[in-house]
Amino acid sequence: MKQGFRQQLKTLALIATIALVAAACGGDSDSGSTDSASADGVSGSVFVSGSSTVEPISVRVAELYEDVNSNVSVDVEGPGTGDGFQKFCAGETDISDASRQIKDAEAEDCAANGIEYTEIKVGIDGIAVMTNNANPVDCVTFDQLFNLIGVNGEGKDTWAAADSSLPDAPLDIFGPGAESGTFDSFIEIVIEDLAEEAGVEHTVRTDYNPSAEDNLILQGIQSSDTSLGWVGYAFAANADVKLLEVDGGDGCIAPNEETIASNEYPIARDLFIYVNTGNAAENPALQAYVDFYVGEGLDVAVGEVGYVPLSDAAKDEVRAGWNS
Amino acid sequence: MAVSTLGSSSDVTKRVEQEIFRQGSDLKGSGFRAALLATLGISVLILVVLLGQVIVDGWPVLTTNFGDFWSGTLRSRSSDSKLGISQGLVGSFWIAITVAVLAFPIGIAAAIYLEEYAPQNLMTRVIDISIRNLAGVPSVVYGLLGLFLFVKLANNGQSSLYAGGITLAILVLPIIVITSAEAIRAVPSSLRQGAYGVGATKWDVIRTQVLPFAAPGILTGTLLSLSRAVGEAAPLILVGAITGRLAPRDGSFLDLGQFGDRFTAMPIVIVGWVQESGRDAGFAAAAGAAIVVLLALVIAMNSVAVMLRNYFENKRG
Repeated sequence: MKQGFRQQLKTLALIATIALVAAACGGDSDSGSTDSASADGVSGSVFVSGSSTVEPISVRVAELYEDVNSNVSVDVEGPGTGDGFQKFCAGETDISDASRQIKDAEAEDCAANGIEYTEIKVGIDGIAVMTNNANPVDCVTFDQLFNLIGVNGEGKDTWAAADSSLPDAPLDIFGPGAESGTFDSFIEIVIEDLAEEAGVEHTVRTDYNPSAEDNLILQGIQSSDTSLGWVGYAFAANADVKLLEVDGGDGCIAPNEETIASNEYPIARDLFIYVNTGNAAENPALQAYVDFYVGEGLDVAVGEVGYVPLSDAAKDEVRAGWNS
Repeated sequence: MAVSTLGSSSDVTKRVEQEIFRQGSDLKGSGFRAALLATLGISVLILVVLLGQVIVDGWPVLTTNFGDFWSGTLRSRSSDSKLGISQGLVGSFWIAITVAVLAFPIGIAAAIYLEEYAPQNLMTRVIDISIRNLAGVPSVVYGLLGLFLFVKLANNGQSSLYAGGITLAILVLPIIVITSAEAIRAVPSSLRQGAYGVGATKWDVIRTQVLPFAAPGILTGTLLSLSRAVGEAAPLILVGAITGRLAPRDGSFLDLGQFGDRFTAMPIVIVGWVQESGRDAGFAAAAGAAIVVLLALVIAMNSVAVMLRNYFENKRG
């Protein structure tokens, strides 16, 4: 008898536990669906892949959109722009984040698979060239940067040795490593054309101090009076270093939000998302997410995660382009 | 005879001891001992420095609102109070379960077959060497295999929790086979012969003598391989674990439906946050805290392995 009673108690406890767990889980999903249904009734899922530079923008937009409509679930990954386009053109993703425009070969790949897309410019990533506050140099030209940091600078340990127009001071260079998108962009914008002319390799000298962590680059800049280095603008803007003006052919321009947004500052790259238009027509969740992206996303999210937002005119253009 | 001139046996012991432990009698030996101590010291020092650095980095996150961090998700900004590791924990939990369910039985069964049943011929030797080679293959290669088989072929390019779990199960399978086979080989042949002597069948011998005796070794090997699987990042990156954002799912973390869904795991969360720390320095603290949590989990699992081994060793007497 006693044994039986215990057994019954155990069974009861088990049932109670299961019921509780079920209730807790059920409660979760119920509350999820009620407050979202009131938004605009759209539900579904969106998958975003591509550039790890743009990834935080897409994630931030998804977080902000979740507060408006939690019934749209957005997953975001960032394996890189190239990998992203490969998946995008195979039809595996809805949106591809990109820190450059789509290449011809990638566009052909998309076309071959019948993937149609819209390109949307979402923000700008500036690259700051910086030195120590103690350094008298204020402005550098692309030619000087090429001489200082390009392969011809190899072994030259003063500014004057690398470029005779610059002062005779020790040269310590700090920058991102070759795995970084900022490294690629710097080469593409500053080094590539001049290296082509000079007939040398499109890369930088090997005897600089590469670091995957931007904090270490800033520390290096602060450690030497006449250091030189480059990082993403968002990261250098608030740091205790001197941002150099850069002359890309149209005079010396200091980097700031306005000059980067207006494309006056020469070392900046546009950030894009590519939207699969076929999927957007069928999937209201994707349509709604991109609508939100070009709206509040461009206004709020881009700046919040540290990039330079588009100018108002550029935003209007992007919105008109998407809505048409 | 010399013995008679040495006096009583206790005197002999004393004199021999003095001779052996006399200062400077074994200079090379003391040098060797010092060198061993130094190498041990260096490895421990490196570990302590690394651990210390990680704990110092992660301290602000570990000590303030650890509950939020435990139940939080992947977010875009390190200052977000909803930032946390719950999604990584769930992914790693299910990966561990998948590895345990798939790799343990298959690996141990393969080891039993290789040691007890397989004929000693060329074929068996080739298989044995192949398994040893597989154990040394870089984990990225298993990631490529998983990407092709379980993501591209089986699931139209969509990554899934089961793809990650099965890939890691395959990764640790050779290690389980090797350690289990070693444990089975270490069973004294007198035990087997004794059992055969009293008329036991082969199955009886394996079940009642070999496996109970080999159990501690098998358990240690399998549980250590589970720790390895939980700590691997490279194969999961290739299989497509999510770094940026995993939207909240309906249902509890025990829901089996998520096996076919996108996932993330603790090592991936850590890799992602370390990368993000360039843009947003606060992620370095989050990554440090996540590393401490993962380390604590792995140490806990290894401790269970040690306790189980001791338990079975005592049992076998």
